[in-house]
Amino acid sequence: MSLPDLVLGIIGLALTVMVFSYLIKDNVFFGIALYLLVGVSSGFATLLIIRSVILPMLISPLTQPGTQAFYLALVPLLLSILLVLMLFKRGSRMGRIPLAFLVGVMTAMALMGISRGTLAPQVLSIFYWFSPGIVAGWSAIRWWGLVEGIAILIGVVAVLTFFEDRQRKISHKSPSSPLLKGVSKVGQVFLGVTFGALFVGILSSALIALIGNLSAIVDFFSHLFAG
Amino acid sequence: MKKILPLIVAISSALFVIVGIFFKESLSGWLSVVLNWAIVLSSVALLVVLARLLITHIGYITSGRQGFIYSLVAVFAFLFTLIAGFLAGIDNPAYLKWIAGILRPLETALLGLVAIVMASMSIKFLRERGWNALTISFTISAFIFLILGLGLVQAIDYAPLKQVIRAIEGLPMIGARGLLIGVALGAILMGMRVLIGAERPYDD
Repeated sequence: MSLPDLVLGIIGLALTVMVFSYLIKDNVFFGIALYLLVGVSSGFATLLIIRSVILPMLISPLTQPGTQAFYLALVPLLLSILLVLMLFKRGSRMGRIPLAFLVGVMTAMALMGISRGTLAPQVLSIFYWFSPGIVAGWSAIRWWGLVEGIAILIGVVAVLTFFEDRQRKISHKSPSSPLLKGVSKVGQVFLGVTFGALFVGILSSALIALIGNLSAIVDFFSHLFAG
Repeated sequence: MKKILPLIVAISSALFVIVGIFFKESLSGWLSVVLNWAIVLSSVALLVVLARLLITHIGYITSGRQGFIYSLVAVFAFLFTLIAGFLAGIDNPAYLKWIAGILRPLETALLGLVAIVMASMSIKFLRERGWNALTISFTISAFIFLILGLGLVQAIDYAPLKQVIRAIEGLPMIGARGLLIGVALGAILMGMRVLIGAERPYDD
């Protein structure tokens, strides 16, 4: 085992123990491990942003005066300066213009992305089960497909009704009708099933990470003692 | 004027992008220019946020606030990673090995901790919320998917059982679809409010 590998192994072991010390009590070592993660990842993110975006898309065009790229880069340069001024109290209001530009572009992208990429495909996938080609198949009616389609439709409507019912409760509006309350209960069941499956998925991934981490520690010790 | 100008910028940039997406063939050049500006600006915004984080922690250190040792660790780790990356180069294998050597055990240990905390929180959740439609279905679903996750039931070669498993595995998609449609409708509503100027997050 080389010296850097040995040092990295010891650091990794120490950091793992520091994180798991939280199981005993929230303590200084756990805090240090968390802040170390914040510091290193934000430093690395800064480097990546400068290398992958700022240098090629902002600085590099500005080094070619007179070209179209140069003039086009002046706009983000000006807006970036306004953003940086937000770090100072006096310039905090100036940053609203670049922020407004960002909000506008992001909103438009989100509107188009969500309507075409999420809402339309999800709604169409529900109606898919009721299309004549699927229901009738080649000759006879496919009852199982129809039942599946109806279950999906009822489930989605029930989940959306649950959200509506919950919103009514939060905003202290008049209570829903008994029918809507019943449908909302069905929605709760479907949501519970989804959250249960999601919980198991996340738990399994976290457990795999835990096992991987423990096996890395075992490997480190076996390499260390094997020489 | 101070309030109107950001509003005009937000609405006009949003409308331009929407029009640009609909008339891609004639506006694709300008659309990519505007999107590149947005990429640069969002990166600069992220850098400003990181700089603000650093300034805040330096403030905690200089004022000697309680728990300033955490700020010291964060600032030192930030500067060390940044300066070492500038000096060695971000592609340097030795640099990347050291960064991975610190980040990987931290991330995997935290994820492992999440597993333990999640298991205890689920029991707490059931205790606090009591038994209702949501908690009962959650518990049964988690139990069934844990068993299915082992893969033993799938190994039984019996056609009707396989069909039942397929139907059970499709059940979470129904709730997920409802969630996705609900979130999408909410996001579209919020987007429309920004588009007509009823919501102005840049003013806060």
